[in-house]
Amino acid sequence: MTNSIQEFEEAEVFFVIGSNTTEQHPMIATRVIEAVRKKNAKLIVADPREIKLAKLATLHLKHRVGSDVALLNGLMHIILKEGWEAKDFIKARTENFEQLKGVVAKYAPEKVAEITGVDRDSLRKAAEIYAKSRRSMIVYAMGITQHIAGTDNVKSCANLAMLTGHVGHPSTGVNPLRGQNNVQGACDMGALPNVYSGYQPVTDPKAKEVFEKEWGVSALNGKAGLTLTEMIDGAETGDIKALYIMGENPLVSDPDARHVARALRKLDLLVVQDIFFTETGRLAHVVLPAASFAEKMGTYTNTERRVQLSRQAIPPLEGTLPDWKIICEVSSRAGYPMNYNSPIDILDEINRVTPSYAGITYRRLKHSWGLSWPCPNEAHPGTPFLHKDRFARGAGAFDAREYIPPAEPPDEEYPFTLITGRVGFQFHTGTMTRKTSILEREAPNAVLEMNPRDARRLKVIDGATVAVESRRGEVHLPVAVTSDIPETVVFSTFHYSEKNINELTVCAIDPVAKIPEFTCAVSIRRI
Amino acid sequence: MKRISKDNILLFLKEMNKKEKVFCPQSVDGRDLMFMPLEEGVYTGDIGKTTISAKTVLFPQTEEILSFTEKSISKTIDASKTLLFGIRPCEIKAIQFVDQFMTRDNFIDPHYQSRREKVTTIAIACHEPPSDTCFCVDAGGMPYLENGYDVQLFDAGDYYIALSGSEHGEEILANKYFEKGDEEDKERLEEIKNKALHSQKNSPGMRKAIEILRENKPDEAFWEGLADRCINCGGCVYVCPTCTCFNVYDLPSQGGHIRCRSWDACLHAGFTRETSGHNPRPTQGSRLARRHEHKLKFDIVNFKESGCVGCGRCSDTCPVGLGAIEIIQELNAL
Repeated sequence: MTNSIQEFEEAEVFFVIGSNTTEQHPMIATRVIEAVRKKNAKLIVADPREIKLAKLATLHLKHRVGSDVALLNGLMHIILKEGWEAKDFIKARTENFEQLKGVVAKYAPEKVAEITGVDRDSLRKAAEIYAKSRRSMIVYAMGITQHIAGTDNVKSCANLAMLTGHVGHPSTGVNPLRGQNNVQGACDMGALPNVYSGYQPVTDPKAKEVFEKEWGVSALNGKAGLTLTEMIDGAETGDIKALYIMGENPLVSDPDARHVARALRKLDLLVVQDIFFTETGRLAHVVLPAASFAEKMGTYTNTERRVQLSRQAIPPLEGTLPDWKIICEVSSRAGYPMNYNSPIDILDEINRVTPSYAGITYRRLKHSWGLSWPCPNEAHPGTPFLHKDRFARGAGAFDAREYIPPAEPPDEEYPFTLITGRVGFQFHTGTMTRKTSILEREAPNAVLEMNPRDARRLKVIDGATVAVESRRGEVHLPVAVTSDIPETVVFSTFHYSEKNINELTVCAIDPVAKIPEFTCAVSIRRI
Repeated sequence: MKRISKDNILLFLKEMNKKEKVFCPQSVDGRDLMFMPLEEGVYTGDIGKTTISAKTVLFPQTEEILSFTEKSISKTIDASKTLLFGIRPCEIKAIQFVDQFMTRDNFIDPHYQSRREKVTTIAIACHEPPSDTCFCVDAGGMPYLENGYDVQLFDAGDYYIALSGSEHGEEILANKYFEKGDEEDKERLEEIKNKALHSQKNSPGMRKAIEILRENKPDEAFWEGLADRCINCGGCVYVCPTCTCFNVYDLPSQGGHIRCRSWDACLHAGFTRETSGHNPRPTQGSRLARRHEHKLKFDIVNFKESGCVGCGRCSDTCPVGLGAIEIIQELNAL
């Protein structure tokens, strides 16, 4: 996020797109709710579904699934036409403005209304509310990123913020909500195929030198590795022989689950490391039992880039080790001895080789509620919001994108669009939450949300089981009839391995980030 | 009437802790004030208002209630002599209320009852409201107690004036750390009580809210409108001193199984969902209504008093302003 969580309280406008905030980031949602209730902040929700937050919205734009770029370009078109753009900010802080103008000129309200299904009045209102306030915030989550146009969507959000100067100040910016307690930390630490910690490219000879020196090795591979989706494909084609999976259950969480299973079965070696035995673990040659958060100490980096110390509460269960110890043991046995005595040693190393984490030391974390990076030295207080006087690359570069339709639009054979997501009581593939009695009771099974008109057409009632079929598989689910979802769109969750909705989803990927789209076309019949 | 110097409180508690388990308001590393065993926290003399009520002691968040194998079942009773020091008058009222519920129609909860019998209370009257959300007077209570305590302390600056409210209380006051008070303490006590009664500014209007509920004024739209901002966290329930709903589940244990119970919340859909799938409280609005009707309407029918003691913890905890105070204010605005 460009901003800190606390800054939400002072925002004047929230533009929430592709985020079911109340269910998935409730503690952020409460700040939005309270800003709306107590401070009359305005709330624009853009989501095909009537998510809970939409009930409190000033304006709910029910744009069609996957039409985000058209919607965002359409808003920018109106802003430029009305002269609501931040001219000084554009001049002082950005470049490539002409390119943006050229692209968004093509997104007149008539055309945008046709692509998105959002009427011209609502488009204009949204553009005006967002552009004309002093402090507007864009909030998004996987509804923006999990598309073949995911990178385009993110760029379009950034374009909109820069066009209106809504970035680089307190309570205004672009805020992607991170979905797991430490996904920010994992990325920061270089758990990505192309960077070392702190986003230092593996292709950069200077970065390479730093890490070679720190680790006492020579000739670190300077080439970017593969992304998750590419690894699964590689396993299927035989290019990948071994996979070591930690804290992830791709058999349930990845799109096109049958393809994932086929691919994993072809591996010469599959190692799965987790705190509970998972569906993916069943296919593994080696399972390494890891300790849970309560059984170890270390740090987590949350959605506001805040690094926080987590203390050990109980000793690890017999036969388990914290992940860092397992990795050290495996590495040592593979010929590179790793001799860290504790997570504090590891944090010391992070401080040495990661400029943005240099000042986030154990000594400071021990006596604080955490520090937000960038924090270049021990005297630095941390950074609540980013891009204050300059962007990371200098000038903010506009890069307007053209709308492209989703990979698998509905057709005669598969007339419904299936979108997938989560509910608040379950987390991801349920490896933890499904073992917790009250959470499991609250959301015990997958349902297929369907508009009442579609239900009538298919002659099914609430609770009836239907067969949902895509080009890749078939899953039987009970119907939950609700007018919260538009016609010809259905929604379900991927928490339940026994009704694995990802047997249906499509693994069409964004060409840059390689993130899968999931959303696919399905047919539905009574059974 | 006796008195105890504030400087001697910790010494007194340490001495008591040798004979029974002492719980008092404490915090660790500047975090929330909680009722914690004396040896687990840092006693600073700040009695304040604990984030979670003292029910954690009598009715723990999670407890084993029985253990079983294929051949046998045995009840698990885990109660030891306990001293609750620094409990506020509203919480004593809450315990008295829960006592009625836990023994209602001679249906006795043995786990609660066994702990309850072994608890001694040293209450501290509120010479001023511990927080802005306190509204015990509005809720029909008082910032000090007439009965229901073993010892009650009144803050007189450097020392507490101590009254006993039971035989056991008399025994406690015989402890060497309690000194004889002087004549002026009587007057001082009346002064403190009087000041306490008039120092509470927060008065949301519970009596009127009860009337409004009795007249069935709030409709579905009223509750659903409020529920639109409820994130269904259950926080209001967990911190409440009179909420005692629980969920029961079994866990494998060495050589058999144990049955446990954990706090539950009526705001969760699964709490009322029936086996058929039918839910008599199908929406968040209907569940929010039930929670507040329970406290301010049905409890009065069943127990002749409301189930809300005005501690204000739900209003402290709810991140979206749906605590008792806000609900009472919304009802008053109808």
